[in-house]
Amino acid sequence: MTDIPTPAPEADVQDFANMSAALTGFQASVLKPKLDPVGLARTYYEFALAQVGAASMSALLNAYRSIQSQPPQAVADMLLETVSPTPSNQALICQSIIAMWYLGAWYIPGVKGDFGFPPTPLQIISSQAYTNGLVWKVMQSHPMGFSPFTFGYWSQPPGSLSTFGVNTGSGGGQ
Amino acid sequence: MSASTPNTPGRPQYDVVIVGAGVSGNTIAMQLGLAGKKVLILEAGVAVPDSREEYMENFYLALAKTPEAPYPTIAGRTSVNGSITQADPATLPTPRATVLGLGHKPNLSYLVQAPPEADDKNNKDPQNPKPLPDGSVRGLQFSSTYERIGGGTSWHWLGTSLREMQNDIQMKTKYGVFYDWPVTYSEMQELWALAEKTIGVAASVAQQEPLEVVGLKFPPGYQYPMGPIPMSIVDQTVSTGVAGLQVPGMLDGDGDKRMYDVFVTPTPAGRNSEPYQDRRVCAGNTNCIPICPIQAKWDPTVTLGTALDTGNVTVSYQSVAVNVAVQGKSATRIDYLVWSRDANGKLTSEKKSVTGKMYVLAAHAIENAKLLLMSQDDKGNKGIANSSDQVGRNLMDHVLYLSWALINPNDDPIWGYRGPLATSGIESLRDGDFRKYRSSFRMEIGNEGWNFSASDPYNTTMDYIQGANNALLNPNKQRLGGLALVQKLNSLLTRQFRIGVMFDQAPLPENRVTLDPTYTDGLGLPRPHIDYGLDPYTMEGFRVAADVCSKVYERMGAQEFTTTGKGGTGDFTYKGKNYHYYGAGHVMGTHRMGNDSASSVVDGSQRSHDVPNLWIVGSGSFPTVATANPTLTLMGLAFKSAKSILTELGS
Repeated sequence: MTDIPTPAPEADVQDFANMSAALTGFQASVLKPKLDPVGLARTYYEFALAQVGAASMSALLNAYRSIQSQPPQAVADMLLETVSPTPSNQALICQSIIAMWYLGAWYIPGVKGDFGFPPTPLQIISSQAYTNGLVWKVMQSHPMGFSPFTFGYWSQPPGSLSTFGVNTGSGGGQ
Repeated sequence: MSASTPNTPGRPQYDVVIVGAGVSGNTIAMQLGLAGKKVLILEAGVAVPDSREEYMENFYLALAKTPEAPYPTIAGRTSVNGSITQADPATLPTPRATVLGLGHKPNLSYLVQAPPEADDKNNKDPQNPKPLPDGSVRGLQFSSTYERIGGGTSWHWLGTSLREMQNDIQMKTKYGVFYDWPVTYSEMQELWALAEKTIGVAASVAQQEPLEVVGLKFPPGYQYPMGPIPMSIVDQTVSTGVAGLQVPGMLDGDGDKRMYDVFVTPTPAGRNSEPYQDRRVCAGNTNCIPICPIQAKWDPTVTLGTALDTGNVTVSYQSVAVNVAVQGKSATRIDYLVWSRDANGKLTSEKKSVTGKMYVLAAHAIENAKLLLMSQDDKGNKGIANSSDQVGRNLMDHVLYLSWALINPNDDPIWGYRGPLATSGIESLRDGDFRKYRSSFRMEIGNEGWNFSASDPYNTTMDYIQGANNALLNPNKQRLGGLALVQKLNSLLTRQFRIGVMFDQAPLPENRVTLDPTYTDGLGLPRPHIDYGLDPYTMEGFRVAADVCSKVYERMGAQEFTTTGKGGTGDFTYKGKNYHYYGAGHVMGTHRMGNDSASSVVDGSQRSHDVPNLWIVGSGSFPTVATANPTLTLMGLAFKSAKSILTELGS
């Protein structure tokens, strides 16, 4: 895919991060912090771009830009076409983008699991992708094998969802 | 001294040559090294890495976080057509049984399992053979796996350090079934204490005392090396929820009519509640299996370090023992292959031999049996230390049944996926008269939600992203994003919990390791052939356990989601109901110990009846599964073996 410029323009990465925030339910500042030693937003943008191609990614970002002023949940529902029985390829790409942020892996758009098992991803994008997976924050927990907590924390309930970076829309509290 | 020193007749190169650098081998090496004896360990696999970061990276990047995922990798990191690629065991120097390689497919499975099955990628249906007239099911797959690397399989033990109950080691005397162990309970108490100190077991005797009702006894005044691991919220919730629950010993009312109390106790654990042996306290990584990132959980490399520090112990890695030469009643040398890969990845090996005054096989229950069956006596007969014909027989697993549930939505979340993988269990059903009729079991309460049972959080997450229902929590196949997705997943994943039940599987002579006549590994050595099945004694335990699990969930007001026949091999039918079983990684019985040389391979010191300068050690010596996880007990027995070796060597 020789038409993909590298490195990707920062403005596109920022829009990708803002769109990802709406899709995942997290704050954009969690996905792409001002001081960002990991740089997952760029890693993920460039990975997804290589997977789906410049044309699809450009169309997706433009679709996002046209609705970005709407509330985050509305943006997510429109991009994912949650009310449509047959989501478009673009919506399937959005599914894979959520899965990437949540699970740190690239799932091929539209490929579902079967026999009670989830689909096998193409690959785990990096060890930092694994340890920064959002699903663990969704559970108010930590990635298995990567605990920032200390001895005995498991005998007490965790902090609220907002302390894990979820955009609960109320500016704090669960 | 080195392993390549020419063999001088009459003057062995080492006091003791040990095969295998796992729990048993390292424990014996440590004891011998501390006593000033010269020891060589032959380890088939690669060296213990300088840092576990390499293994952590393997874990993070593994497509499936199986128990073997962190260790020298044999699975691809990129899937092909939706499948994980794996190396053919025929090309590997030390192939091993892996979760991804389960099945009757010799191009994937190191263990060659009968019967063979067509290599059909889409055949995910359970292999569910018809029961025989006596109710037994044969042709099942042995589902436990193990490592062949420096440090051994206990890199990924859970850390569970339970002692056996008194009747666990006297089943014949007490219940008239199977075999007694050739050791007394009071001697085991001393051996467990040694193992608990070596491992650094965190527990409280006072918390264990309620288990006296099922025969757990401590010597007066005994204290564990460190205080207990706190109970998780999952434990606390189950403990409160089952208060007052009683269950019958047998479902059909005949035999044992007694009602048994169900209660939760914290599990003694080989993980640090305080700094110990220069290792950190547990940070609750929820990853004991497959790897503790910070070595707060003891593993055999700790004890190997102590052994090496004596200056008397040497390890030769990538050294696969292929023959224990026996002349008359003496083992005289061990032949082994030192393997390496050249710059192009081509596998080469060089044959060497080493001599010792004494020899110890500590290679794992299946590998010990394989090596004994491969070895030759002075008449050229294959198979040594086997006048009893019990080598390789009585293969047992602590077979596991898994059930899972969601806590009632009106209750507070149960907060899984936090803390060590398991911190408590229901041990109160481990002994009773029912053991005359069916297998006993312990129940482990999991802290990892539905990770083991339903591949979560991956499965439910993908279900709600894609509109699928593989984990069964999205029956309307909703597709969600944004905060709606967060809240839905949060409400489900924080309510998940599971109970794993492990059974005292019956020893059966027909459950057996032999040398496969067809398939070999990358060194040209025969691979283990496994014949395996379950008998009604064992399966009746499953039936009772499934019922107890359901009663626990019902009592708690939780909704059970246990499914059987969810894919892959490992299903059986018993009394008209389908069950799925898993391996526990607790492999036992292949060189069982006993006082009678006609019916056992080793004595109570794990010393061969036939070849008195050969010790065959590990859980392969267990005459019965018993009800505790085996590591603590097999380490205790290793201390007993070390003592008998030292006595024999003269100190």
